[in-house]
Amino acid sequence: MHMEKNPAIPDAAAGPAVYRQYARQWLGAHLPAHMRADSVDYRTPTLDECRAWEASMYDAGLAGMTWPKAYGGLGLSLREHLVVNKEVGALAMPESVSSIGKELAGPIIQTVGTEEQKQLFLPRILAMRDYWCQGFSEPDAGSDLARLRTKAVPEGEAWRINGQKIWTSGAAKARYCLLLTRTGTVADKHRGLLMFAVPMDTPGIRVVPIKSIDGKVSFAEVFFDNVVVPDSARLGAPDEGWNAAIRVLSIERATNRMYRAWRFDCELRQLVAACKSDPQLSRLLDDGSYQRRIGDVVGEIDALKGLVEQTVNRMMAGDKIGARGSLTKLYWSECHQAFAGLALALVSHVNPRSSALAQRARKHFTTAYFYSRAETIYAGTTEVQLDIIAQRIMNLPKDL
Amino acid sequence: MTTSDNDLKPEDFAQAAAEAIKDAQTRGFRDAARVLAAAGLCGICAQEDAGGLALGIAFALPIATEAGKLRLHWPLLENLLVAKALGDSPLAAQLAGGERVATWALQGSLQDGLAGQARGARDCDWVLVADGRGGGALLDLRSIEIQEDEALDPEHPQSWLALDGAEVLAQLDAAAFAALQRDSHILIAGFVNGAAESALATTAGYMSTRVQFGRPLSAKQAVRHLLARMRLQQEASSAGIQRVLDTDEYGRVRATRPVLANALASAAFVLEKSIHLHGGMGFTWEVPLHYALREVRKFDAAFGSGALASQVGRDFIQSV
Repeated sequence: MHMEKNPAIPDAAAGPAVYRQYARQWLGAHLPAHMRADSVDYRTPTLDECRAWEASMYDAGLAGMTWPKAYGGLGLSLREHLVVNKEVGALAMPESVSSIGKELAGPIIQTVGTEEQKQLFLPRILAMRDYWCQGFSEPDAGSDLARLRTKAVPEGEAWRINGQKIWTSGAAKARYCLLLTRTGTVADKHRGLLMFAVPMDTPGIRVVPIKSIDGKVSFAEVFFDNVVVPDSARLGAPDEGWNAAIRVLSIERATNRMYRAWRFDCELRQLVAACKSDPQLSRLLDDGSYQRRIGDVVGEIDALKGLVEQTVNRMMAGDKIGARGSLTKLYWSECHQAFAGLALALVSHVNPRSSALAQRARKHFTTAYFYSRAETIYAGTTEVQLDIIAQRIMNLPKDL
Repeated sequence: MTTSDNDLKPEDFAQAAAEAIKDAQTRGFRDAARVLAAAGLCGICAQEDAGGLALGIAFALPIATEAGKLRLHWPLLENLLVAKALGDSPLAAQLAGGERVATWALQGSLQDGLAGQARGARDCDWVLVADGRGGGALLDLRSIEIQEDEALDPEHPQSWLALDGAEVLAQLDAAAFAALQRDSHILIAGFVNGAAESALATTAGYMSTRVQFGRPLSAKQAVRHLLARMRLQQEASSAGIQRVLDTDEYGRVRATRPVLANALASAAFVLEKSIHLHGGMGFTWEVPLHYALREVRKFDAAFGSGALASQVGRDFIQSV
């Protein structure tokens, strides 16, 4: 349940403009300077600081917008969710440290979880009391989850799980794993897949961190060696959980981190401001080739905003989004990589005598450039998205 | 149909527009004007006193998109925009009614004495040009020396206009001309996006039926992925165009240059790849994709072939 409603939170009936104004004022007033990536006072926030920040956003009515009130949400529409996301995107704040919980596990539990599971898991996700990780990918099953091997075998009122997951973001900090297993054999392909909410402190689970391209240790291999979980950890019947996940994933692909386009805009402003703060970099902004690249990125960001708003409008009108989420995913990931390449080119001119803002920008955008390499891989690679667009949006035949 | 029809939706105009445009394409220039005017297209945004429907630019967008899809060479966009800009002037009524036809020279100015990139000037009565002081001037084409530029399109050339001694029929102040330019960005973006959408549909259809190596070409991953990319560019561009019709969160009009620059680049990409995917056939004059590419490249040239994106970049830098 949501705690007592904060009296400062406006009534949604007051309209999106009121909610927008409230969100803007609250975020601007409460985001600490050292957590603003565009501030010279920035330092990498600790996990506890991020947790506290997101918890305070929730208390302020700026998270869980569309989740049911019965499970701690605000029970509002995607319209208010978009309004808040635009304001979240407009500030250079840290990415959520609980996106798997809020944007994947939570919606799946809402769809297939039992009432007990909903009461147990959902409010704690919103209140930032539990982190979740996503146990889908395996060494031999990345884009092709039909090759999934991690096995769940029923044993009375429990399940015994054996297998290995990889690229599991946040596994070291997670309290639960949204784990995808199979009950049959690999020959069953997409049939017999079963989903669990597995406590990460269950005996038999071993987490081996992986250092990623940006120098961080943000994901891991996770080994499940005779892990036994009660049947109450199961999310839906065999196939049901996975089928729900597919539906949720297609929606999430279109709606998760809805603030991205507005954040890209914010990042571009940060980049230009940093260049303007330094005489040498400022001269680069007079270069026609950089002006053209900046113009191209602005046009792409505008188009991305259009895709996001179009998605919200369609969903509000009751349309199914289906495969159209792939358009948004593919567009934002490539748009951001183009931006990151531009940013890297500009900040590569920073030297020890450059302005403090430029120095800050160099650190930030160099990391962003390397991290952006992941963006066309995770949540379905570019090639998977292109396949989906060709198959399900364009209906292109593979045979006569 | 009147403007009191509150239930009117812009998309409702698409089908009627397509039918009128198809009809117009079978006729001569002046007959086409009458057909398009009779369908309400020339006066869609013109004031009711001028015989128009007084609808917003959102209602003209589906018309522009259909014109692009059908590769209409007749200067419908220019005509309806000038009719709108002229307000309750009797000149507006002549445009809305199809008695006269206006075009727009997108480059140059009256002050320079030279204007260019006007579509269909040889057949039109009037031309709108920038006056060089921020506003616009409607000129009588009979008073202007016209030189056709066939480089991009020998069948439907743009025109250069020598403006010394040109007769000015009407003037637009800076605010009105700026508003008209904004509207033109939206409609041109819609036109080129429509051209891309149509070419993509044609190409996807062809790739689905053209058999090579025992299977349709659309079965080949390289082809499927290219078609998917073309769809992505066209859809994203379309979403951006729709978005710019609305004011921003604070009631301000949105910038149209980024949307037009993106639409021109996306449409050129889709059309070039459409021609490529048609193979040797795509290189022939008979396959009409080149007409659409020529239209897109003419508009692109009018805005400086990439200069628009650079200006968008400068505007953004300035705004920070």
